[in-house]
Amino acid sequence: MEAHTLSTGRRWTLPSLRTLEDVTETVAAPLMDRPPGRNWWIAMAVCAIGTGIGALAVGFSFVYGPGLWGNNTAVVWGFPIANYVWWIGIGNAGTLISSLLLLTRQKWRGSINRFAEAMTLFAVTMAGLFPILHLGRPMYFYWLAPYPNTMALWPQWRSALVWDFWAILSYLLFSVLFFYVGLVPDLATLRDRPGKRGWRRFYGLLAMGWQGSPAQWRAQERLHRTMAAVAVPLVCSVHSIVGLDFAASLMPGWTEAVFPPYFVVGALFSGFAMVVLIALVIRRAMRLEAMIVPAHFDAMARIILAAGIVMGASYAAEWFGALWGGEAADVRVVRYEFTGDYWPLYAAMLAGNVLAPQVFWVKRLRTSVPVLVGVAVAVLVGMWLERILILLNTLSIGYEPSFWRTYAPTLVDFLILGGTVAAFVMLLLVFARVLPVVSMHEMRKLVAEEGSHESTTFVGGPEERA
Amino acid sequence: MTALALACFEEEGPYLRARVRLVADGRRIVGEWLPYAAESLGDGAGRGGVRGAVIVVGLLGAIALFALEVWSAVWAYPFNSGGRPLFSWPAFLIAPVEVGALAGAIGGMAMLFRNAGLTRLHHHAFDIDEMLRASQGAFVLAIACDADDATAVLGAMAQAGATHSRLVAS
Repeated sequence: MEAHTLSTGRRWTLPSLRTLEDVTETVAAPLMDRPPGRNWWIAMAVCAIGTGIGALAVGFSFVYGPGLWGNNTAVVWGFPIANYVWWIGIGNAGTLISSLLLLTRQKWRGSINRFAEAMTLFAVTMAGLFPILHLGRPMYFYWLAPYPNTMALWPQWRSALVWDFWAILSYLLFSVLFFYVGLVPDLATLRDRPGKRGWRRFYGLLAMGWQGSPAQWRAQERLHRTMAAVAVPLVCSVHSIVGLDFAASLMPGWTEAVFPPYFVVGALFSGFAMVVLIALVIRRAMRLEAMIVPAHFDAMARIILAAGIVMGASYAAEWFGALWGGEAADVRVVRYEFTGDYWPLYAAMLAGNVLAPQVFWVKRLRTSVPVLVGVAVAVLVGMWLERILILLNTLSIGYEPSFWRTYAPTLVDFLILGGTVAAFVMLLLVFARVLPVVSMHEMRKLVAEEGSHESTTFVGGPEERA
Repeated sequence: MTALALACFEEEGPYLRARVRLVADGRRIVGEWLPYAAESLGDGAGRGGVRGAVIVVGLLGAIALFALEVWSAVWAYPFNSGGRPLFSWPAFLIAPVEVGALAGAIGGMAMLFRNAGLTRLHHHAFDIDEMLRASQGAFVLAIACDADDATAVLGAMAQAGATHSRLVAS
């Protein structure tokens, strides 16, 4: 990545963004003025094929049942629940990142929050599919909702499955509203630009008559901040509930108070890794080098490093808790993690989640594209391995030895997982062509602030500015 | 008022200078449109109530779901699940927390629509060409004036740093 000059006094934008209209032009032009390029169509075609194959695998599963999967009488959760936890973790991170950075008034938020929030919407959508698929009779998933029915049945509110239903539903809808509140002023920008009449009408309808008057800005800002304040505990509770799916079950290795916070940090961890990957692609593909600068990657790499250390401490706490408690089944699970059937996967998980982020101690590597890509992929794979191994290491050797079974996924399992990855990327590709991937109004504010700093405040060297 | 003086500014500083000066001169601001939420506006602009709506509607949503849980689990469908009490309030708190946050967001959205006057797709302000430039990156100011003193108003705007100004008969 090219060196970002600090000699202009700017930290989060490049000097090529001179005026506020430059911001509008940089973000809106790829949407309205430039048709999608060849790479976009190729990526779209690949993702469409991947999504189609995944849908086919889901269709076969509907027809022939969960017997097509690797799930067995001991490992009853398998891929579907591991995939659910992985996707919901990534999904939790977007809104968490956006709201935390908004509440702490981090100026660099404007460059990444929009696509991080979009990532949340798409990842939670993918996550929501898996519990439904895993029901076995997915056509009855709506029984989880409380409604008057002829059988006079009501949901079992003490069930973790019902908690998941409300958590996913509420979080998805909340995230849509949070995304929309931040998007309204930018929709007005697209509405007011010259362009095709149909698209301008589309943006105009979504903009709801936004004008940009002081009263509107204040109302929008107040609601955005208030929703951010609500979003932080909401996100923590959603992923805590996912942690409780395990912690509230009476299985060795799961009944631990550390699970809810451990899951929340894991969500932030995998979410930032995904945001780094998306930022690298968007920055290059949409020519946003002036808005997504090396300082952003430096900041995100530091957070990944910190989260990696917390993950390492969480694993150590699990091992210590089991060994210190002395419960035979818990100790057996820890021993099984290191010496059992899945130990290579466990070693790979530790390498991806704990060791790989340590390279970010070196400043130069925090802005190196190959290193960022390598670590982000390692973390995403490591976190997926963590999700599947939480299931396998416990369920394969639970309390009852006659129930010990190893687990082997099938091709259908992989096709369904791959299909959701393809669908997720496809949704991101569509998003990048329809909505502004960077918050234009927040970037204008940032450019105005950094621009005024540039001309009036900084008199010292780069160190002072940083 | 017989005319409207319109001006566009590229930056917040000149716009604020013009605004302060014209208000001090006793001019009436008919409209102003900004490209971002400028800090200089302070918290006074616009009506409040967004936070209150989030809290009140959020609490109502949470209480409503909790009440539904208690009624359905204790009276409508008293199912004995492993000997756990019918009124398992700790487990009942989880869904209301999530739904309360969602209900609060919906309440806040409704208040945003009310306070910001949204859903008015055909407001007369859209007839002003300059107003459309605000969403692209300009600060736009509309001042009421008479034909006699229009020159003074436009002059003050230009002096403050307006990049474009014009007079519109009203």
